[in-house]
Amino acid sequence: MSEVKFDKVLDARGLSCPMPIVKARQDINALEAGQVLKVLSTDRGSIKDFQGWAQAAKNVKLLAQETELEGSKEIYVHYVQKTA
Amino acid sequence: MSEKNASITPEQLKHRLDSGQPIFILDVRNEDEFGQWRIEGENVQIINIPYFEFLEDPDQSIGRVPRDRLIAVVCAKGGSSDYVADLLRQQGFQAENLAGGMIAWGNAHQAVEVSIAESDQPGVVFYQINRFGKGCLSYLIGSDGEAIVVDPSRHVDVYTELAEKHGLRIKHVFDTHLHADHISGGKQLAELTKATYHLSASDALGASFPYEPLRDGQEFNVGSVTVRVLVLETPGHTPGSTTLVIQSRFLLTGDTLFVNSTGRPDLGGMAEPWARNLYHTLFSKLAQFQDDVWILPAHYSSQDEVREDGLVVARLAELRKSNVAMHSRDEEEFVKFILAHLSDQPAIYQDIRRANLGLIQVDEDRLIEMELGKNQCAANIRPRKPLTVKTW
Repeated sequence: MSEVKFDKVLDARGLSCPMPIVKARQDINALEAGQVLKVLSTDRGSIKDFQGWAQAAKNVKLLAQETELEGSKEIYVHYVQKTA
Repeated sequence: MSEKNASITPEQLKHRLDSGQPIFILDVRNEDEFGQWRIEGENVQIINIPYFEFLEDPDQSIGRVPRDRLIAVVCAKGGSSDYVADLLRQQGFQAENLAGGMIAWGNAHQAVEVSIAESDQPGVVFYQINRFGKGCLSYLIGSDGEAIVVDPSRHVDVYTELAEKHGLRIKHVFDTHLHADHISGGKQLAELTKATYHLSASDALGASFPYEPLRDGQEFNVGSVTVRVLVLETPGHTPGSTTLVIQSRFLLTGDTLFVNSTGRPDLGGMAEPWARNLYHTLFSKLAQFQDDVWILPAHYSSQDEVREDGLVVARLAELRKSNVAMHSRDEEEFVKFILAHLSDQPAIYQDIRRANLGLIQVDEDRLIEMELGKNQCAANIRPRKPLTVKTW
């Protein structure tokens, strides 16, 4: 479990591509610069997708990613920070 | 102009590809996935713009998409591509979503009649089933109400439906060898239809389930002697690789021999001895066959192996002429050539073999993941430009 501080949680579990990132973008827009959004996803593709998105986006930085186990299901956690 | 559908199926897209019309594909997966595997074709133009770029820089992304033609939008599962196709349509583009994405593309099958079988064997049903996303080929052959299936994929309904359509009962299911690139549906299909499942004992080493061991010289009749199947051991790609000879006219060579290559001998970590086996198989075992027999393999990797009629097939004569692997003058030359033309073995092949031996149980999601991508069963010998035979 990481020590990354976050300001909001987006529970995107059960949502398929593109929804985790579409919603993350919406939530980031509502944050202040410097704030961090923690995103939970059950979509395995979200690992690479969040990396790609953070690179493509001008005001998003990917702080950390981790995989947690909830029973037998994997949850992918992404911490993204609004930079501007 | 009539209202376009919002989405198309893989079969519909394949049909368009086959018809020769120019196709434009917008692939919205990330660059890594796109680099690994994508839809290919002679008349296909394809660009890769990850879907999140449409979120972040819509003007730039949309600016790269042509307005004057139909765009097929593709992603891994069909979700992001649906989103982008919708976005494009709102901007006045003609865009369609590939339903189910690359996963559906990889799972789609197309049954093509082996029409060359018709002429002197009336009443024989002979299909080559092409899993075109992966380049895997399997066969259903029947007569007088009985059928055999060779190298079926795990999508067993493709075979049961085809058999039912022709009033055939599947009696024997064969795997020409232990497959590393796809999950075999052999055992499952046999259980479902109460057929016998056949695999060579050397390839089945360690299998957790019962099977009928294939043996050199075995003969099977399909439908009261109308179709004769002769079993021929053809080691090289795997120790137990087997060729099925149908009516002395068609060689179902598995991965031993392809239209423009041979099966790679390195998947078991014994590349050199297996390459030598392959040499003997190709030049002694198969040498007994006349030029006019037809080769029907278990894989293909490029469009130039596919005929106009959609069949992947060639006469042994053509292979002897154009298949570079068949040009070797001796064993040393052949072995050296083959070993110099091998690409990396995909890491997942180890797991696929174990699944095919029943050593691991795998859920549907994992099965899908394991099978992503095109096959890499062949030695990489197809020349990119014309090869002068005399150089080696």
